[in-house]
Amino acid sequence: MLFFRSEERVREWCSAMGYPLRPLVRMDQLWELAREWYSTRLQPESRRPQPAEMRRIFARLGLAGDFWDPQSDAFGGGAGKTEGSR
Amino acid sequence: MELELAAKLAIYEHFATSGHRPSVADIAARVGADVPEVREILVRLRAQRVLVLEADGESIRMAPPFSGVPTQHRVIAAGVSYYANCAWDAFGIPAALHRPATVHSRCEQSFEPLDLPVSDQGPRASDWLFHCVVPAAQWWDDIVFT
Repeated sequence: MLFFRSEERVREWCSAMGYPLRPLVRMDQLWELAREWYSTRLQPESRRPQPAEMRRIFARLGLAGDFWDPQSDAFGGGAGKTEGSR
Repeated sequence: MELELAAKLAIYEHFATSGHRPSVADIAARVGADVPEVREILVRLRAQRVLVLEADGESIRMAPPFSGVPTQHRVIAAGVSYYANCAWDAFGIPAALHRPATVHSRCEQSFEPLDLPVSDQGPRASDWLFHCVVPAAQWWDDIVFT
């Protein structure tokens, strides 16, 4: 999970590293993700978003598709079973 | 369960006030427990994905958004310096603290520095981008890489 100066820099990095280009996220979208995940983290009732909530958050921010689905099996390796909530 | 919650809050409060990870002894002293008991709690918190521990089983590598080890993502808030685990967590620190901050990081390709003020309304307008290689369903397969 990294910062890049531009889409061109992301493409160069992915090409150099042999990684696929994934969906790009704007800074305002990243702030909303950070707020959703962490704004209550120092409080007793804090809890990480669970898969259904993650889907709702991603959809609200326009982050759609299998890449953002925490239970997707579209990427192999049985990944869909890990329910990747951060 | 009450002690586990107290330990979790003590860990986060230590990070928030100092910018550094607490030791097992720090946590034990804070919650009035003994060290072996706290070690067991840390393992349970790891199983719940609240923490990531180092190979020694007790040093805190991650208490997201805080990093227990230096990284390329540094956040300064109210004069305290923090390390974040990733770009997402660099924004997560001001979100968790509810304090304005400056995020210092870099473009991973060009190494151009990023110095971005973040208020309670979010980051200053910026056309920088965030990119994650790992799909959401696999984030915790190797959370350090993610």
